[in-house]
Amino acid sequence: MDQKNKNSKKPVYSKFSQQELPAWKPILTPGWVIASYITIGALFIPIGLLAWTASDSVVEIVDRYDEACVPDDFSKNPQSYIQNPNIKKTCTRSIKVPKKLVAPIFVYYQLENFYQNHRRFVKSRSDKQLRDVKAENDTKFCLPVAYDYDNKPIVPCGLIAWSLFNDTYKISTRGKDISIEKKGIAWKSDAKAKFGSNVYPKNFQKDGLIGGATLDESIPLSEQEDLMVWMRTAALPTFRKLYGKINTDIEAHDTIKVEIQNNYNTYKFGGRKKLVLSTTTWIGGKNDFVGMAYISVGGICLFMAINFILLYVFRPRRLGDPSYLSWNRHPIT
Amino acid sequence: MSLDDAQIVNVNNPQQLSSPDSTLQRQVLDLGSKRSRDSERYSSISMSHREINDGDARLVHVNDALKTNERFEFAGNSIKTAKYSLFSFLPRNLFEQFHRVAYIYFLIIAILNQLPQLAVFGRGASILPLSFVLLVTAVKDAYEDWRRHRSDRIENNRMASVLVSDRFQQKKWKDIQVGEIIRFSADDTIPCDTVLLSTSDPTGVAYIQTINLDGESNLKTRYAKQETLCKTPEKDVINGFIKCEKPNRNIYGFMATMEIDGKHLSLGPSNIVLRGCVLKNTNWAVGVAVYCGRETKAMLNSSGAPSKRSRLETRMNREIILLSVFLVALCMAVSVCAGVWLKRHENELEVLQFYRKKDYSEPEVDNYNYSGIGMEIFFTFLMSVIVFQIMIPISLYISMELVRVGQAYFMIRDNKMYDETSNSRFQCRALNINEDLGQIKYVFSDKTGTLTENKMEFKYASIFGVDYSGEKTNFEGEQRGYCIQVNGQVWRPKMKVEVDKELLQLSKDGNNSEAGKHIYDFFLALAACNTIVPIVVDTPDPAEKLVDYQGESPDEQALVYAAAAYGFMLMERTSGHIVIDIQGERQRFNVLGMHEFDSDRKRMSVILGFPDGSVKVIVKGADNSMFNIIDKTSKLDATEGHLQSYSSIGLRTLVVGMRELGVPEFERWQSSYETASTAVMGRVALLRKVAINLENNLEIVGASAIEDRLQKGVPEAIESLRKADMKVWVLTGDKQETAISIGYSSRLLTSNMHQVVINSNSKMSSKTSLEDALITCRNFLVPGGSVALIIDGTSLVYILDDTELEEQLFELASNCAVVLCCRVAPLQKAGIVALIKKRTDDMTLAIGDGANDVSMIQMADVGIGISGQEGRQAVMASDFAMGQFRFLVPLLLVHGHWNYHRMGYMILYNFYRNAVFVLVLFWYVLFTGFTLTTAITEWSSVLYSILYTSAPTIVVAILDKDSSRRSLMAYPQLYGAGQRHESYNSTLFWLTIADTLWQSIVVFYVPLFAYWKSDIDGSSLGDLWTLAVVFLVNIHLAMDVIRWTWVSHASIWGSIIATCICVIVIDVIPVLPGYWAIFDLASKGSFWVCLLGMQIAAVVPRFGVKMFIQHCKPSDIQIAREADKFGSSMELARQEIELNPSRR
Repeated sequence: MDQKNKNSKKPVYSKFSQQELPAWKPILTPGWVIASYITIGALFIPIGLLAWTASDSVVEIVDRYDEACVPDDFSKNPQSYIQNPNIKKTCTRSIKVPKKLVAPIFVYYQLENFYQNHRRFVKSRSDKQLRDVKAENDTKFCLPVAYDYDNKPIVPCGLIAWSLFNDTYKISTRGKDISIEKKGIAWKSDAKAKFGSNVYPKNFQKDGLIGGATLDESIPLSEQEDLMVWMRTAALPTFRKLYGKINTDIEAHDTIKVEIQNNYNTYKFGGRKKLVLSTTTWIGGKNDFVGMAYISVGGICLFMAINFILLYVFRPRRLGDPSYLSWNRHPIT
Repeated sequence: MSLDDAQIVNVNNPQQLSSPDSTLQRQVLDLGSKRSRDSERYSSISMSHREINDGDARLVHVNDALKTNERFEFAGNSIKTAKYSLFSFLPRNLFEQFHRVAYIYFLIIAILNQLPQLAVFGRGASILPLSFVLLVTAVKDAYEDWRRHRSDRIENNRMASVLVSDRFQQKKWKDIQVGEIIRFSADDTIPCDTVLLSTSDPTGVAYIQTINLDGESNLKTRYAKQETLCKTPEKDVINGFIKCEKPNRNIYGFMATMEIDGKHLSLGPSNIVLRGCVLKNTNWAVGVAVYCGRETKAMLNSSGAPSKRSRLETRMNREIILLSVFLVALCMAVSVCAGVWLKRHENELEVLQFYRKKDYSEPEVDNYNYSGIGMEIFFTFLMSVIVFQIMIPISLYISMELVRVGQAYFMIRDNKMYDETSNSRFQCRALNINEDLGQIKYVFSDKTGTLTENKMEFKYASIFGVDYSGEKTNFEGEQRGYCIQVNGQVWRPKMKVEVDKELLQLSKDGNNSEAGKHIYDFFLALAACNTIVPIVVDTPDPAEKLVDYQGESPDEQALVYAAAAYGFMLMERTSGHIVIDIQGERQRFNVLGMHEFDSDRKRMSVILGFPDGSVKVIVKGADNSMFNIIDKTSKLDATEGHLQSYSSIGLRTLVVGMRELGVPEFERWQSSYETASTAVMGRVALLRKVAINLENNLEIVGASAIEDRLQKGVPEAIESLRKADMKVWVLTGDKQETAISIGYSSRLLTSNMHQVVINSNSKMSSKTSLEDALITCRNFLVPGGSVALIIDGTSLVYILDDTELEEQLFELASNCAVVLCCRVAPLQKAGIVALIKKRTDDMTLAIGDGANDVSMIQMADVGIGISGQEGRQAVMASDFAMGQFRFLVPLLLVHGHWNYHRMGYMILYNFYRNAVFVLVLFWYVLFTGFTLTTAITEWSSVLYSILYTSAPTIVVAILDKDSSRRSLMAYPQLYGAGQRHESYNSTLFWLTIADTLWQSIVVFYVPLFAYWKSDIDGSSLGDLWTLAVVFLVNIHLAMDVIRWTWVSHASIWGSIIATCICVIVIDVIPVLPGYWAIFDLASKGSFWVCLLGMQIAAVVPRFGVKMFIQHCKPSDIQIAREADKFGSSMELARQEIELNPSRR
């Protein structure tokens, strides 16, 4: 008998091999369907309202200055204005504050139609070079901004760094300057690990085409916060970058004066430049979309719940009702 | 003619003996063409009988390996089934892997990506998918090959006793060469194909077991030639050579001539023992190696199962072509848009900070990485192919392979498909068509051995016009069957047969009465006219031995056991004589000749020299072939009547006739027999002619009726299959009456069916009967009425010959609930399957157990072999093999249904999973100036289909069950889901694509609008998209999972966690641009709000539609599931039946 058992090929019984593992077999009954729709609705509408209120409480001032800052005689040909180093680029804008801005106020510049996510642009950087002095020759992906005329590596190399935004803003109200805090605008992680504290700018914007701001060669990259912000390339062609923070409130109905150094050339391709002052909340800046989306999804779910209630009331079906089986509906002859 | 004369004949004409014997072991006997193995065997026989040209021949010098291998280097005996060696593994394995289209696609994409212009991904990321699949496959192949190496080594190092300088020495198998003389002992495995020279048996018989070769466990006889029998290789010099065919894979054919001591002998398949066989019941045997190593028949036959492609996969490939069109369309869109963008900004490209067409780093200004709009469009196109590559779900092919392995595991391990009696598990031989099992519409079944057990039991006899079908007695308690005394030992037959008391008494009385004489003839004929070999087996009791009748035909075994029970016990069979113990008196008969069974004659005959010197020919065969050659008498008419009544209760009948041969006739026959059996060319045809000349004017002896019982659970199984809306056709070689009665007992035919019978002898009459049948059929085509078509092989010959008639038959058959084809030849079986296959899209399944079913099994979409009594040829040709017919029910209804559903869902899900990701990438491209930037990191893009989302779909496709086994078995109608293509069809495909589009829009545009005009960076948004897509596709899958086991939980939630870990790991590498992005992102509320909102918004439409359909148009499966869960019965389904055998 033992022998027989030994030779038997009978599969050893296990719950797994017989596909009999204990399992949870949920079936969404009408009750569950309606309950889940109502739950989602009940959850989403309040969240949506919260997000919407939050967004509504944000005060945002946007001022487009690229066109206005070009003197009238150059308006036909803004290129010749912006490219001429001998013309003063200072431009003053007065902006009315509609509502009180409560500190911290974030100062952004907004570029539109500027493809910071363009393939040629995104790839043109060397992260190794940024954090490590020894890797300054690692400029493989930086072309065409990798070496200067003397064939020395540019630090930081690449199109991104080369095109660093260089407009500057000075804000004053009631004749008093408001200081813009430029420290702490970049991510702390960037300053700590991504940009070396012993890497200094070298051969940057020296010759060839000048693309944007120059960097102080005595300050290490880990303290060049504008560069760090700029090098976090934006996801979308319309984007904001943090310029600085204002730590004092600005009262409603005040008029603020902004003195802009209008250096950055976006005129050729119609890229707009805007100055943005904004407060923030938990949801971020001013954005009604999230709130609206939540409210509509919640609304749709409640609507669906009502529909399903009506459906179940007027066309009920008993669960497991055999009269719905195909062979009972059309018996096989 | 005296006994002595007969003896002399034997001695003087040894060839004559060997020839009939040569085919002895292949001899098969049956009513119809059932066990004739014709198609295949015949071609092989005729092949082996063509003349050996010198050019085609291989010359083997006996005991002279040097000379043998002098001119041609014949293969040595070492075998190598392993494919690779240590050094060849890498190149060969890679070469083989790249035969697959999928891998070539990966390779091309990877190569494209290496061109600097097109480098979308970094080097590592681009090679990862390809190297991943290559590695997985290579590891699998290496493991399999290592196992082959190991078994090769074991095989090659086995020892055999080989004659070296006149002494037998132990030698390793691998060192054996063609021409060497080898000696085997009992239970030795034969190392190479060897021509027997002598054996321990004085008549030169050796018994072998061929289980390793063809799976048949009964012993077969092989013979050494008389001329070589007396030689002892150590002493006598054997001088001679063998001229034989080139190595071929036909294990039933061997054709050679041997020249020894100047004598010319012909050798046949009975003189050769093949590698892998085991010597049994023979103390020793000596032979000369003729084929070694890879040239042995066993090695030439070791080929894998046929590869088929499943219906679902074929349909899937159609959709994949559609996806390729989508892919091309996406790429075209991107490249055209890119072209338009470049054109519009052509003048500005130089000053665009983010484009920088010119390189100013040298004083000489040059274009940088820009080769004109045309080229840029072209590059953009290729790059978009690289970025969107997973639109074509190549990983799906690999997942499908894994899933099928998993499904096969569960089918093989299913306890309910394990056969106790044959100790065999379910076998999955074809790995590609698991899901076809869920869509079968036509089942073509063989009868004998498939529906029935193929365990024959002698039931009734009609002897010389007298019917003996009275009460049967059991031996229990009474006496212990018939036994004889041999040397003080008791010999009894191994199997007991129920006997008819009256007949037993009459046979005991012997020749005293007229009836007794006829009975004597009848049982003598049964005991003598066969190819059964009695083997004496020891029992625990030393005074008792059992006689085991070994032979290939179960019918013959049954007849010999029956003869033994009535006192005619076959004791000994050698090539020249048989010994039968007749009522305690031992008698020796000389076997002067034997005409084997063939499917043309449908009978066999033996020429017997009686102890009194008379010579008789005894013929046994199917009734229709016998009635033509038996003299018409009133006894014959009576016998015919008995046969009718036997077959009407489903018994298999055989008719026996006999005639005494006069001396002149015997001599005439003998000389022609001698010529025919030594003929080198056309031996079979000549022998057949001799047989036909001899087999005539017989006197009726009687007829036997054998019962072949239905297998357990067959009626229930057939009922289930029919309820599952499958059309069951039975194709049998049996007589019409037998077939119909089996039809009733297997519940194939029921009393309320109208039977349409077509028996025609000409084309015209087939035409008219078909037309009539069609009219009848239409009349009966009312609800509740059903028609059964019964058609015979002769009619089919005419019908299958003519396209028009074929069309009519198809129309008729498709209107009939049941089709029974009787008296069909093996090739006709395939023809009938082809008839359906050609004209419908419905899936066909053929199930059979014998060699005559091979063509049908290969023709059908799914071929199933029953590993039963009849050898393994059907199994070797099949896609799946199992022990019992009734396993078809769990196989199709449960596993087939599951497999189909799982695979169908997996394909759709994989389309969705990849497309949604590609679309998210695509939408982003529209916001990057059409430059194929991906916000999602390249590593995440690559890992998406390999790691983030692959495991859950595979796990679900292996483990999920859309309905319980209990419901599927209890309501066979649920099987209709597969027949109606409910799990995979174009509607579902387009719905999936629409859903994909919506989900991708939600996933992409919600963050886009939420972060529009914000200071978010690309990496953060990319991380959000990555997580959102992965969460979404896993939640999507989770919504469709029906049974949540711990494995599904682990894989789905595990994948999500694994993705989060990967995203975090990628973001803590400081040299990647996205350093720390995920942490920055997750610290803000908007991220969480977005993530939650996206998931819900994306699945709401799907959820709504699903719930709506579930409520208003529930599928059968849905109802069954609800009934199962809430315990409500589906009692409206009145046809509920219990399928006990398969449930236990």
